[in-house]
Amino acid sequence: MLALFIATLAWAAPSSDELVGMLKVVDDRQQNNGDWRSLVYIEQKEKDKSDLAYQAAIYRRDADDKLVILFLKPQAEAGKGYLRADSNLFMFDPTVGKWERRTERERIGGTGSQRQDFDQSRLADEYAPTFVAEEKLGQYTVNRIKLAVKAGIDVAYPVVELWLDKATGNVLKRQDFAESGRLMRTTYYPAWNKLYSESKKAEVYFPKEVWIYDEVEKGNQTKVVIQEVDLKPLDPNIFTKAWLESKSR
Amino acid sequence: MVLASIALRNLVQARRRTLLLSTAIGLVTTLLVLLLSISAGISDNLVQSATTLSSGHVVVAGFYKPSPTLGAPLVTDASKVRAIVEAKTPGLERVVARGRGWGKIVGPGGSVQASLSGVTLSDEPGFADTLQLAPRSAYLEGGGPEVVGDARRIGEPDALILFASHARRLEVDVGDLVTIVTEQTDGRSNTLDVTVVAIARDMGMLSSWSAIIDEPSLKKLYSLKGDTTGALWVYLDDIAESERTMTSLRTTLAQEGYALMDYQPVPFWMKFEVVGGEDWTGQKLDLTTWADEVSFLMYTVVAFDIVTVFISSILLIIIAIGISNTMFNTVRERTREIGTMRAIGLRRRQVLWLFMLEAIFLGLFATTCGAGLGAVLALALDAAAIPVPIEAMQAFLLSDTIPFSVRPLALSGSVAFLTTCTALAALWPSYRAALLRPIVALGYTA
Repeated sequence: MLALFIATLAWAAPSSDELVGMLKVVDDRQQNNGDWRSLVYIEQKEKDKSDLAYQAAIYRRDADDKLVILFLKPQAEAGKGYLRADSNLFMFDPTVGKWERRTERERIGGTGSQRQDFDQSRLADEYAPTFVAEEKLGQYTVNRIKLAVKAGIDVAYPVVELWLDKATGNVLKRQDFAESGRLMRTTYYPAWNKLYSESKKAEVYFPKEVWIYDEVEKGNQTKVVIQEVDLKPLDPNIFTKAWLESKSR
Repeated sequence: MVLASIALRNLVQARRRTLLLSTAIGLVTTLLVLLLSISAGISDNLVQSATTLSSGHVVVAGFYKPSPTLGAPLVTDASKVRAIVEAKTPGLERVVARGRGWGKIVGPGGSVQASLSGVTLSDEPGFADTLQLAPRSAYLEGGGPEVVGDARRIGEPDALILFASHARRLEVDVGDLVTIVTEQTDGRSNTLDVTVVAIARDMGMLSSWSAIIDEPSLKKLYSLKGDTTGALWVYLDDIAESERTMTSLRTTLAQEGYALMDYQPVPFWMKFEVVGGEDWTGQKLDLTTWADEVSFLMYTVVAFDIVTVFISSILLIIIAIGISNTMFNTVRERTREIGTMRAIGLRRRQVLWLFMLEAIFLGLFATTCGAGLGAVLALALDAAAIPVPIEAMQAFLLSDTIPFSVRPLALSGSVAFLTTCTALAALWPSYRAALLRPIVALGYTA
């Protein structure tokens, strides 16, 4: 009887607070109190189309919720960029020299990646979690959690499922669902890296690679490789439209 | 009268020369009429496709902004607005409500971005008749000339009408399921599986990014409830009254207490950026005409008109040089005859008129025949529905066949213009003939 009781306790689903705690761990680990700079390589495969590869620089200032994505390669895309400021996402196209307001679902540079894939994680702020199951994902034991968007929050996907590595707490898999309940995309995070941050006085986690699979247009996939992460303070001018415009001159 | 008779007799006497010049002038007229017919055909297609896919003659639309940064092309409390429009529009034929959306349509062969026009069949019972359905050969490899599907089924739930170019790219046939992916006003993704109930013939550039969906499904996609629509399309008895009606409706709606956006003669989708940057919230109405909604397509008509003018001008210059040269030869050949006429009392002005009348008669005869031939050819070619195989060309011509439309004003204008040009080309030689002194002319030997 006691053994059964202990087993039940061991297998009991995490409470709501525990689930929120798990999300906070995910968010906090990726958050840097200071700045962030990295180089990303984005590889896009689309059905019946040639593969595309891009190189971009990511600049983040988590304290101010600011994000800049500047495309560096190929030459045709160099100078194109995105700026997130005050919950607005703007895109700059150097070929026409104009800024345009974009939405959360904007395909960054026309790839399968979105703003959320490069920005800081805000899962605990944006979603309310419920426990689905403890299961196996390949060799990993994971907690599968379902997230529903909180009222009044604007996100691209109102429902998300996460597979969190039980041992490390890292996200290994994520599925995004549309309002209709349809699965839109599946993202895998096969490996995580970490770097000590002076400003945070702790380690900042980031995925080495992100594999995004389009579940509506089967066959379309995007691979994002994150490299050369630097957590040193950045020039505040970087997070301005003028700076991004100057990069294409 | 005597001069006209002499001029006619001279033309008949110099049959070979008259025939050669007439043929040249006539062919230029035929070409001009054909080019003008294509230009008119493009214009007609523009009006037809615009008032089927993009707008009524006048559009009462607007933007609804739940917050300063979010905005959608919606008219809330649409019935009230509609009642005002129906009551206060002179020369009104009908008003229809159309939903507006934008989404990605995903099929087995890939995906296309399309503007979604939401149709309520009970509101537009004649809608199905405005679309021409495409034969299966237009969108299916190995398809035959048979036409399948029924545009009236757009009244069924979760129904979609595609245009042939989209159906070809998506690799779908009537009865197939496709998925529409959209982004709601608050940025959330949504999807809907819909059945393709009909595939329509392409209508140029507009149809290359358009699809028609039943209005309730569109509302479902955007989670819209209640008395909301995308726009009210106002059709008038006379399309020429569009601008005046729009101005009058703006005044009426403002008097009824509606907030109006500043008038901008551009399609609604070009206003998102401006609206997104403004800090108002709530509903503002926006009124435009059909021409405003397709203003970005007007360049096709202008571009074709420029080509027409360019080609016609080059041919006209060649013909004018030919006419001038021929008239100079005629004057030289008939110098002694001019001398005789001057000697028996014909005044210089009458000699000028004689040669001018010859040119005018020649021009009138040749251009009338040329215009007639051009009109017959244009009508025959239009009936033959010559297909345009290149998609870019279809977009430019706003049709999947070469459109010809013969307008009486264009015919009479061509005749008048080219006859005037012929007369002007003959002016200098005629003037030279009139200047000849009788004694010199009589003693002239070739």
